[in-house]
Amino acid sequence: MDDHNQAIPIGSMVPLTGPSAADGAEFRNGMILACEELNARGGLLGRPIRPIFADTCRQTAQEVVSAARWLIEKHKVHAIINGYNIGPQNSEYEPIADAGIIYVHANTLLQHHDTVMSDPERYFGCFMADPAEYWYGPGFIKFLSWLRDTGQWVPNSDRIAIISGSTPYSIVIANAMANAAASFGWKVCFGPKIVQTPTSQWRDVIEEVRATNPAVLANTHFYAGDLAHFQRQFGEDPMDCLVYLQYGAVHRSFIDIAQEASVGVIVSSIVGLLRDEMGKRFEARYRDRFGVGSTATIGCQSYSNMHHYAVAAAMAGGSGPPGDFEQNRKVAFALRGMIYRTVHGTIRYHPDWQAVVPYPVVTRDPSLGMPHIFYQIQDFRAPLSMIAPEPYNTERFILPPWMSKSRLSAQPAQTDRRGLTNIEQQ
Amino acid sequence: MDDLVDRDGGADQQMRATWNGFDAIDTGLLIWSHDRVLVYINDGFRRSCDIPVKLGMHYTDYVAAVAHSREWIIPDPDEWEQRTVNDFGIAKESDYQSAIGNFMHVAQRPSRDGGMAITFTDITAVKHNERQLREAKETAEATDEAKSRFLRAANHDLRQPLASLKILIYSCAREEDEEKRAEMLHAMGVATSIMEDLLGALLQIGQLDAGRVQPRITSFQLSELFDRLRIQFAHQAQEKGLRLKFVIPAKTVSTDRALLERILSNFVANAIRFTEVGGVVVGCRKEGRGLRIEVVDTGRGVKEEDRVRIFDEFYRGTDDRQPQKKGLGLGLNIAKRLADLLELQIDVRSEVGRGSIFSVWVPFGNIWHSDISAEANITEAVAGEFAGTPMLLVEDDDFLRESMTQLLLRWGIDVRAAANETEAIELVTNEAVSPRLIIADYNLESRTGLDVITAIRAAIGADTPAIVVTADAEPKVVASIRAAGIPVLIKPVSPPRLRVMMHNLLFEPELLRQTPDASPTSQ
Repeated sequence: MDDHNQAIPIGSMVPLTGPSAADGAEFRNGMILACEELNARGGLLGRPIRPIFADTCRQTAQEVVSAARWLIEKHKVHAIINGYNIGPQNSEYEPIADAGIIYVHANTLLQHHDTVMSDPERYFGCFMADPAEYWYGPGFIKFLSWLRDTGQWVPNSDRIAIISGSTPYSIVIANAMANAAASFGWKVCFGPKIVQTPTSQWRDVIEEVRATNPAVLANTHFYAGDLAHFQRQFGEDPMDCLVYLQYGAVHRSFIDIAQEASVGVIVSSIVGLLRDEMGKRFEARYRDRFGVGSTATIGCQSYSNMHHYAVAAAMAGGSGPPGDFEQNRKVAFALRGMIYRTVHGTIRYHPDWQAVVPYPVVTRDPSLGMPHIFYQIQDFRAPLSMIAPEPYNTERFILPPWMSKSRLSAQPAQTDRRGLTNIEQQ
Repeated sequence: MDDLVDRDGGADQQMRATWNGFDAIDTGLLIWSHDRVLVYINDGFRRSCDIPVKLGMHYTDYVAAVAHSREWIIPDPDEWEQRTVNDFGIAKESDYQSAIGNFMHVAQRPSRDGGMAITFTDITAVKHNERQLREAKETAEATDEAKSRFLRAANHDLRQPLASLKILIYSCAREEDEEKRAEMLHAMGVATSIMEDLLGALLQIGQLDAGRVQPRITSFQLSELFDRLRIQFAHQAQEKGLRLKFVIPAKTVSTDRALLERILSNFVANAIRFTEVGGVVVGCRKEGRGLRIEVVDTGRGVKEEDRVRIFDEFYRGTDDRQPQKKGLGLGLNIAKRLADLLELQIDVRSEVGRGSIFSVWVPFGNIWHSDISAEANITEAVAGEFAGTPMLLVEDDDFLRESMTQLLLRWGIDVRAAANETEAIELVTNEAVSPRLIIADYNLESRTGLDVITAIRAAIGADTPAIVVTADAEPKVVASIRAAGIPVLIKPVSPPRLRVMMHNLLFEPELLRQTPDASPTSQ
């Protein structure tokens, strides 16, 4: 019996143990802060919200599905609101769809599009509150081309080397980078080579890359610790190329391990706390609540998803327990229709994908998409520098310390006798 | 009241009725005496003209007041004033536009006693209707002309891809190499889509003539556009023994993609048409805040006297003796008109006997806004982790085989389906299918899935990863499959479970051995 005076149970599947425990702790923090703020203002239409956390450990399909079942069957949660779980491959959608509750996550997986579009009626309540990982690929290629075309960096060639981790996430991003490269004038000279991850041993693959003499080296594996080892091993004998590391390098733990070797690295996130007034105020509240060691840019994901859900449920006239398909369809309708500006940009669900649209790679309007933010580690003791895209960037790109200074300023493009640019010398 | 005409006092009833009647009409009326003094103003004048007039004023003062009131648009007020003063008592009429945009018809007529009456009629509605009629007539004429132009242009532009298609069909019919045939069929598909695009573009040109084309300016990379041009013209160049080279720039430009393609397509067609030896190079040079895209040929060149008129409609070179081979002279005209519409500068440099360079300048675009192909419809079929992975499915149930095939295709898998062992062996031996993964039903007609997997592996000569699916959840059966080291899924197969198992087998086999979830049985 769902008593109107009782708290509304909201589930959250977070990796509190295992390799993503650092992120899991922040996702938990984000949920706690959002629920505290909402409850301080009267909760959801007068009812307090009670977050219930289920540990997804190593985020395997079995662990995440078990967590979903436990939340639905034991706690009768009205919704499950998360950060990400990498492993379940959408298998958790099944118990959630059977229960007809709302599920908002940041799994960053293209397969979400496929699953939702394969049966929109069944998966009406499943929302991905960040863009699919695919968009990292073309977004990164555009970023590189922007550096090149604006003269901020003069690459020594058009060659890109791509190393991928062995998760679907890393493979899709690596493939997407490779697919987009040629359109923007780049050649993939190495890979995408899939390395079994997790691993801290990168020297062999770095040597293979060295033989191809690339202008850019991208690693789409995303574990902070593994990437820190990669960067340290790269730094032992650096190549004259830009280094891009996938999402994990935004973590403090990456810099803690990589230290000075991290300076110059480029990293990006399609969910990142903005440095405008709204973002700064959130960061201050978050730090006050969880201490200086907390990472607001991770916690903001579940925080925003929870707030957005609460607004949608209020618009719909309330939340629905498992089995109340009718009420939860109203909540889903409100989520789909609402453009919600939060501390890390805009949540606007694509009507077919039920996933957030990225800016600028898909929408050109920053008010309609979640920014794909590029950072550079310029001082390993300071916060990461946000170097793209406009209008959110706060710093400019600098040439990494291991790279040749001779190309710091733009040189005229090579021309043939007719003056045609980019003709290969034969 | 200082009216010279006493409407209420001395006049009788009949006169009052007359004045009231004059006041009721919309037309303004001024009456002047023989000594040029204003003796009557009706209400219609006051309503329609905001010119300071009063009874008793002299005609000269009235004209000066109108000339300098700025109520009407009078280009040279002093000249107009002098002329109009001299026209007192003469019958004449003129139209004036007021400052607020209305039109006034002003007619003056002499009276019998040497005075004059002037009427002021608002003809704004009439003028508006006249303009609309004139525009409709012009549009109708332009549309008629556009139709004729369209037919001429269609004839001209469709010849290019049609010629390619004819060559391809001829070559394809005789080609025995399957790979080359597939390549030609692809090129034929491209040529057909180019024809489709051309018809669309030509329709636009018809609309261009009628002033109806609205360019859609976007930022994009030139590489795809160049690739389409390469496919469109490669066979024609090859037929003539010409080299055709595209030097792809790594720059973003900003203009209408389809219309730019039309411009360049006309340049390239022209270059191939007028080049007998050597080749054609399409490349770019940076110029100011944009790129100059150049089509360089080693053809016969354009004479200096022809260069000015070369972009005219139906213009052909003065020594063009083979008109049937050289087109109608529309291509460059279309290019010029499109460039004008896009506000792009086009240019020709040439040396007779050495070759020509036709070029168009396009501004740089914002790379962040640059379109990505197929971006609007990204699915796992094009970008998923399994995209393009070859896989073999053995399932004897027609319905299940079809539904499983559809699922795998949706994930981008290059799936080949067989109903039994014979068909499967046929695929891997005669059709050279090299699967990276095998999915086999356990209860096949005469064999088990395990037998079939063993046979396929033997035929391939590799220990290809495999999954067995079975509706038989009997522990003994499952145990026997597990004993063979092959993971099992129980029907009905859950797509996410299948996906996890496929991923682990293909990319993370260690995980399959370590996790209790992935091996050996999942439901």
